[in-house]
Amino acid sequence: MQLGKPLQPIRLVAVLGAALIGVLACGPGGGGTTTNLAKDQVLRYNIGVEPNSFDPGQQQYTYEAAVGRQAFEALLKPNKDLTDVEPATAEKYEVSSDGLTYTFHIRKNAKWSDGQPVKAQDFVYGWQRLIDPRLGAPYNDYYVFKGVEAASKLKATDPADKIDAALQALGLKATDDSTFVVTLSEPAPYFKWIATLWNGAPIRKDVVQKGGSLTDPKNTWATKPETLIGNGPFKVTEIASKDHVTLEASSNYWGGAPTLKKMVFYEISDANADFAKYKNGEVDMNNVPLANTDLVRNDPQLSKELRETPQLGVRWIQFNNTKPPFDNQDVRMAFAKAVDRDKLAKDVFKGRALPISTFIPKGQSGNNPTVGGDPQKFDAAAAKDLLKKAGVTSLNVTYLVRNDTANQQIAQFIQDQIQTNLPGVKITLEVIDSKTVTSRLRQKNFQMYHGGWIGDYPDPQNWFDLFKTGSGNQFSGYSNKQYDDLVKRADVEKDPAKRKDLYDQAHAIIVKEVAGAFMYQGKNFYLVKPYVQNDTITPIDEWPGCYFSKNITIGQH
Amino acid sequence: MPQGRAVNLAFYIVRRVLWMVPVLFFVILVTFSLMHFAPGSPWDQEGKQLPPNVIASLNQRYGLDRPLPEQFVRYVWSAIHLDFGLSYQYENRTVLSLILTGWPYTATLGVCAFLLIVPMGIGLGVAAALRQNTRTDYIVVGFSTLGASVPNFVVGILLIIFLSVDLNKWTSGAFWLPSGGFGLDQHLIMPVITLSVLPITYIARLTRASTLEVLRQDYVRTAWAKGLWERLVVVKHVLKNSLIPVVTALGPTFAFLVTGSVIVEKVFVIPGIGSTFVTAVSSRDYPMIVGISIIFALIVALANLVVDLLYVVIDPRVRLT
Repeated sequence: MQLGKPLQPIRLVAVLGAALIGVLACGPGGGGTTTNLAKDQVLRYNIGVEPNSFDPGQQQYTYEAAVGRQAFEALLKPNKDLTDVEPATAEKYEVSSDGLTYTFHIRKNAKWSDGQPVKAQDFVYGWQRLIDPRLGAPYNDYYVFKGVEAASKLKATDPADKIDAALQALGLKATDDSTFVVTLSEPAPYFKWIATLWNGAPIRKDVVQKGGSLTDPKNTWATKPETLIGNGPFKVTEIASKDHVTLEASSNYWGGAPTLKKMVFYEISDANADFAKYKNGEVDMNNVPLANTDLVRNDPQLSKELRETPQLGVRWIQFNNTKPPFDNQDVRMAFAKAVDRDKLAKDVFKGRALPISTFIPKGQSGNNPTVGGDPQKFDAAAAKDLLKKAGVTSLNVTYLVRNDTANQQIAQFIQDQIQTNLPGVKITLEVIDSKTVTSRLRQKNFQMYHGGWIGDYPDPQNWFDLFKTGSGNQFSGYSNKQYDDLVKRADVEKDPAKRKDLYDQAHAIIVKEVAGAFMYQGKNFYLVKPYVQNDTITPIDEWPGCYFSKNITIGQH
Repeated sequence: MPQGRAVNLAFYIVRRVLWMVPVLFFVILVTFSLMHFAPGSPWDQEGKQLPPNVIASLNQRYGLDRPLPEQFVRYVWSAIHLDFGLSYQYENRTVLSLILTGWPYTATLGVCAFLLIVPMGIGLGVAAALRQNTRTDYIVVGFSTLGASVPNFVVGILLIIFLSVDLNKWTSGAFWLPSGGFGLDQHLIMPVITLSVLPITYIARLTRASTLEVLRQDYVRTAWAKGLWERLVVVKHVLKNSLIPVVTALGPTFAFLVTGSVIVEKVFVIPGIGSTFVTAVSSRDYPMIVGISIIFALIVALANLVVDLLYVVIDPRVRLT
């Protein structure tokens, strides 16, 4: 998922909250009890930035999903411990024995916020929009089904009938009003997770038409609450640009109108201002800024409201594997082994990160901290030897870092560790704005970079895809044919045990060859007021409790 | 006003307004070139990248696949027709609608601050000058130096700590100012103060210095010698002359205020145009950047025009040619 926007990466990375143990360790207020309900059933939270779009298909950032997932509902959703999917707008689904056909049965009582029934045709239309080149949907590449390959070659400026023909030829079919059939071109056991993504929500054609021509960039259907008709438990009732978005319970939701009557999402970019608002009781939940970690821990009241949860994301040093000195595996490994992750987690993160020297985070299937013998484990002496073995005595490298405070602090720590543990190596930090960093990465005009990944859905495929040859989501230039083959086989393997074994083998390769020097898994620090009841936090929440928002109630306070 | 002078003035205004056209063209040219030369495209981002076919689609949609000169000509042509295009960042929203959304907040804040700055700045400056080397003078000079050296985000955060968080605690929630947001009420108090501190100190120092200078002039001594009332000497003889440099400074100050302070808007969570501009730059939202630059240039040009016209009112010696 998106790591965040240039201006607020810290907070957005954090918003992507993962709460592996959060589910088990629901802190105070997270209990299952419903005591005296408050008169005003309102939940207030700061998402930090105004959503760029309210059309779920056009959304990509966490602060967009925060609203999109409430106003719209996909076919399925993850269960609370992310072990499998559970029904959402589809009450059940079947997979054909060859793994190529997914049949989703839409609930008969699923309704749009204006009371009309949700039909299979609305999913066909919503998913066609994700592929339509005129709309350029950001998550376009995740929706793998028949015909997508051909459609990806279309241009936005191609004649409408040519594009429409390609969209009609996609493997999407509504066999009747409540049966949505997706045909894949190759088996994909992870496809059930794709069906949980919020941007795969159904879209109603007649609603889009109210805002103008269907594919016109000036179409306004998703910019106004009146035409923003969704099928989620809540509906958007107010868009106060750059200030807040208000959602209200949808009485037409198939599960019945939630007890929570209203949600207000503020768009305050300053994390400290947000923190002050939490303390003033102007918001009910907060994502604690890194700098305030100790303050919260030591505060007798705030520490009780703290919900500390690991994040389903990993950060690593990304090397440019295509150019010296980092085309040499020994040099990469020397750097990887020269950083004390425990100290990083303790000193820089004050315990808000878990040290990791492998690729897959805790809480994600595929996690294996000892894979391949954990070759990247911190070992200063071995690091020195490796550098000597590579014949390097002195080395000057630049370390590209995005310009936000947290990234800089981490990079400075890593710089210090490597310079201390590898005498002769000098690292210069180059801190520049986010867009410039990405364009430099694309041009392979870098040596070292502070990169990472946060899972979109809890299937290892979402992770291992990253280091396949030619991946567009990281820029190391890493390529290993054996790895590609293993991942490709694992991606389509139906037997879970075999699949896990294949991924493990692939995992061992990238750790050993240092596709990245894996550093830490982030943790979230949420503050939740004690009167917020029945909130279930999962490892992939964009705000605490977002997946099970309809159960949340507000107690008297 | 004699007829000839009024005609001159009218000609002067028309000419100045016409001059804004090449100025704006130049602003568009420079902004357009600079942002296209800046590294990074609107579609570069952290984390998951847009797939290559999506980037191609977006470039086609916004005409970014065309040669730069063609893009420029197309832009100028639509700008002439007051079409500033679609924002890249905010899906389906026009630049004009986004500017019109943020503008009222910034303008309200700026005008309120200006209304505070003018009397405070000039008042403090004159008071200090008239009582030079007294306690009043020292206090004003001290405040000016302090106010000029403390950055406004510090002022803003201190105000939030005292007037919002601490006051809330001390009065057990009975009275406190909201730490952020916008409304025509107590929401305005802290941002307006924060925005005003620096300009007040600047105007106060300027007024004090120029008033001191005028006070030493022969004609002022003559006025005193004639036995005129203090008020008459100060208002008619001193202020009228000492305010000329102050008026010069107030023009740009006003322009600065109504084009928005990024920092004040950020600290107090005000959805104004200043923060919109910064976001536009960092997200390479080309149409937004140019659109806002045009508006800023227009305001600065108009503010300077107003200042030049004010000279005529204050100082009869000034001739507009």
